[in-house]
Amino acid sequence: MSAAPKFKNNVKISERHGAGEWKLEKALLLLLMPLSVWLASTGFTLAGADAAAVGAWFANKLNVGLAIVTALAFFGFAYLAWKVIIEDYVPAPSSRKSLSLVALIVFVVLAAASVFFIVRAAAALAAGA
Amino acid sequence: MSNHQAAGGTPGDRTGRYVRHPNGHVTPMSPFTSIWRWHITMVASILFRVTIGAATVGAILLLGWAAVASNGAEAYNKLAACLASPLGLIVGFGLTLVLFSFLLNGARHLINDFGHGLTVKSANLLSRIAVWGPLVLAVLFWVALFATEKVSL
Repeated sequence: MSAAPKFKNNVKISERHGAGEWKLEKALLLLLMPLSVWLASTGFTLAGADAAAVGAWFANKLNVGLAIVTALAFFGFAYLAWKVIIEDYVPAPSSRKSLSLVALIVFVVLAAASVFFIVRAAAALAAGA
Repeated sequence: MSNHQAAGGTPGDRTGRYVRHPNGHVTPMSPFTSIWRWHITMVASILFRVTIGAATVGAILLLGWAAVASNGAEAYNKLAACLASPLGLIVGFGLTLVLFSFLLNGARHLINDFGHGLTVKSANLLSRIAVWGPLVLAVLFWVALFATEKVSL
């Protein structure tokens, strides 16, 4: 908070950050809307499918790419959403900060694991299709 | 909760009282606790948080699905047999319910975030869609799955 205050239309711009995080959360949610429709159609395609059919699905690189984008966008959104929930319900600053850090670590691990397993599943099943 | 206002100093008077919230905060009791009522917009708002929690669990389940699939065709076919069992179908129905709830309630949230749909009438309509829509869509989704014989009991 050391920089000189800045003004826009004679209104002081907040010296604190936070809007960026909110905008990122909304941008990810917006991205997840069409991806959710795609995920629903994927669920319909793959319901009751055997390994061969799933392999044929994984053989399409577009499906693999969309699955990775969906996983990354969702876990990014989920981290920001859980952070807000933690900030709302945990009053003590120290436990609030440590819980947010735990959430960050958990969601980074989940995002990394999803990329790893999607690529690995595509390699394991698409070859046999 | 009684709906009438007690006069100051009488036994029913709640001014100046303090309440301890679930998060440990102690704050003065709102003077309006006797006049607010449940509204569909509150249900939609709370259900979105519940949905995000459930969607996190659902995403971890899908991650497990990919992990099993990455172990090859034999492992995947064993999982497919479990998914076709009654318990697997119930989990699958839950996943679609959460997905449609995320879609509709997320859309409601985005529309409101962009400053639209904030009149009482449209906020009520969006909330009703976000609360009941997922149930309707999930049932239709599974009716279609059974009708096309993709799944069966």
